[in-house]
Amino acid sequence: MSILTYNGGAMLAMKGDGCVSIAADKRYGIQMQTVGTNFQKIFEMGPHLYVGLPGLATDTQTVMEKIRFRKNLYELRENRKISPKVMASMLSNMLYEKRFGPFFVEPIVAGLDPVTYEPFICNMDLIGCINKPDEFVVGGTASAQLYGMCESVWEPNLGPDDLFETTSQALMNAFDRDAISGWGAVVYIIEKDKVTIKDLKTRMD
Amino acid sequence: MHSVMDSRPFFEDYSVKPMQRQFSPYADNGGSIIAISGNDFVVIGADTRLSSGYSIYTRDQNKLFKLSDTTVLGCSGCWCDTLSLTRILNARMQMYEQEHNKKMSTPACAQMLSTMLYYKRFFPYYISNILVGLDSEGKGCVYSYDPIGHTERSSYRAGGSAGALLQPLLDNQVGMKNMQNVQNEPLTIERAVGILKDTFISAAERDIYTGDSIKINVITKDGIKEDTFELRKD
Amino acid sequence: MFQEAPSFWQNGPAPGSFYNFPNTTFNQLQNSASDAFKHSQSPVTTATSIVALVYDAGVIIAGDILGSYGSLARYRNCSRVLKVNNNIILGAGGDYGDFQYVKALLNQKIIDEECLDDGLKLKPKSLHCWLTRIMYNRRSKFDPFWNNFVVGGLQDGVPFLGTVDKLGTAYEDKIICTGYGAHIVTPMIRAALDKNPNINKAEAKALVLKAMEVLYYRDARSYPKFEIATLDQDGVEIAGPIDVSQNWEIAHFVR
Repeated sequence: MSILTYNGGAMLAMKGDGCVSIAADKRYGIQMQTVGTNFQKIFEMGPHLYVGLPGLATDTQTVMEKIRFRKNLYELRENRKISPKVMASMLSNMLYEKRFGPFFVEPIVAGLDPVTYEPFICNMDLIGCINKPDEFVVGGTASAQLYGMCESVWEPNLGPDDLFETTSQALMNAFDRDAISGWGAVVYIIEKDKVTIKDLKTRMD
Repeated sequence: MHSVMDSRPFFEDYSVKPMQRQFSPYADNGGSIIAISGNDFVVIGADTRLSSGYSIYTRDQNKLFKLSDTTVLGCSGCWCDTLSLTRILNARMQMYEQEHNKKMSTPACAQMLSTMLYYKRFFPYYISNILVGLDSEGKGCVYSYDPIGHTERSSYRAGGSAGALLQPLLDNQVGMKNMQNVQNEPLTIERAVGILKDTFISAAERDIYTGDSIKINVITKDGIKEDTFELRKD
Repeated sequence: MFQEAPSFWQNGPAPGSFYNFPNTTFNQLQNSASDAFKHSQSPVTTATSIVALVYDAGVIIAGDILGSYGSLARYRNCSRVLKVNNNIILGAGGDYGDFQYVKALLNQKIIDEECLDDGLKLKPKSLHCWLTRIMYNRRSKFDPFWNNFVVGGLQDGVPFLGTVDKLGTAYEDKIICTGYGAHIVTPMIRAALDKNPNINKAEAKALVLKAMEVLYYRDARSYPKFEIATLDQDGVEIAGPIDVSQNWEIAHFVR
């Protein structure tokens, strides 16, 4: 068993037309035992910026605190909002510093550029290797299932409503086939002038 | 290991273990199978890539085995085990026919396969099997197995190297899971074959052991119709 | 905690043995159940790649004639493409001893079938299937024949080419290369046959010659002498030993 699969969890982010989505399940478990059903692993890092940290739950929270600290320092020193691109690079560098004793998280960054509002998504492995595709990124213990779903339901230029539906369907059907993900889900749709947060009621078994 | 507490002499020459190269009797030759059943039909598809690691042995390997006029078995996993299992299976089908003077039904065949797999419980056939056919009422049926003979009847199933990628999609598109306000109208052959092709296209994008092309068998009371469909070859 | 008293026969030989070297795993192996299977061999004298393909009227199989002993080029005249009968040719790679043993089995099988005197001769698909069973049975005993076999033939006038490895993994294809050849020359031959799917015997020979040359340059266990077996309506022809046409001029450009 890998320590990355100790707590379980599923996450994905998708690009749409002028919008991005990021969604995750809410389970917190210890191996096969479910302990909590309202665990947060997507964190707001700015008005248009969200970071998801699937993996080992303790590292999810530690890494979240570390990047929030660094983001705050950046914004105080630079007197401007951090962009998704900078957030991703910073996170990547931070993870690679611990190349031989890593944090067991595989982060996903999703957001809009604070200036141009251009959609941005990326994910990275636990030592910070960044992957920036034009379609979608997935992470967590249900990643194989998510790849299968996303590869067939995603299409280019989805509007916010369609993006929500696509993201939700991909996530729900994927984690229903993973024993250690699920138990509720949350979906963030990030647009230029609003962020919609929706909680999904899913099967709880 | 030579203990520090031990003061007796250590003779290295006498502690050399027999030289050995690790031999594994199993290989993972990849491949994916999908089966979808309807009221009076069943479709099964398998990709035609036979591979090992990063090498493609052949791009044109049939993994669907016709056991009778109404039963087809799809196999993926260890190819040498598949060859052995299907040969014994064919012999057992013939023995049954000659002893009972009738063809074996799909449910009977499904039970026999389970027994044959469990017979090798402690040196298993490393195969992911999906058996399809028509039951005694003429309904389509799908049986899936683990390598040691656990079996379950369902109405659709994905298996093999891309099983995890394909199954949630079938849950959604065939099982209508996580969908609200949709009436479950009976599945047609055309829609089943369409879903099957679409899921394989998706699998070929992300699974390196699935690709080249797919072979599809459509089983109805009128017999088995074969079809092929090209996938990406990289 | 009580300290455990030494046994009366500490460090003594195991019952039935004369002397016990102290503190050796040798003794442990003898006295305790071994954690390893005692057999499960590894290859000794080995032969490298086999290159084979189907041309318009028949099949062609080639292999060099080197028997390597580890990295030592020890035996330089080990023929490993052979005629089985008028419509089967066979190529073998891997352990040469195992190959000779299987060859003996095969010859005995042919004799046994000859004794039936039914006028039937072994067919390529039958031999391929038989080899599959031989190899699978031995792998199931954890004592495999460490070989790759390539069977070529004409069955009912149709060219046949199939292969079996040490596990019993078997398949048929128009192009089969084993060992290093699978990595180095299959892409080359596949490209050539994609361009021209129906090549004749001469073109097939030229292609195989080129393949053996490429293999000689980059496979360190290869040898510049090889044999080619061809089979078509005109019968079996085994040519060789043929020399690889070497050209090391280009080597100067490799930096």
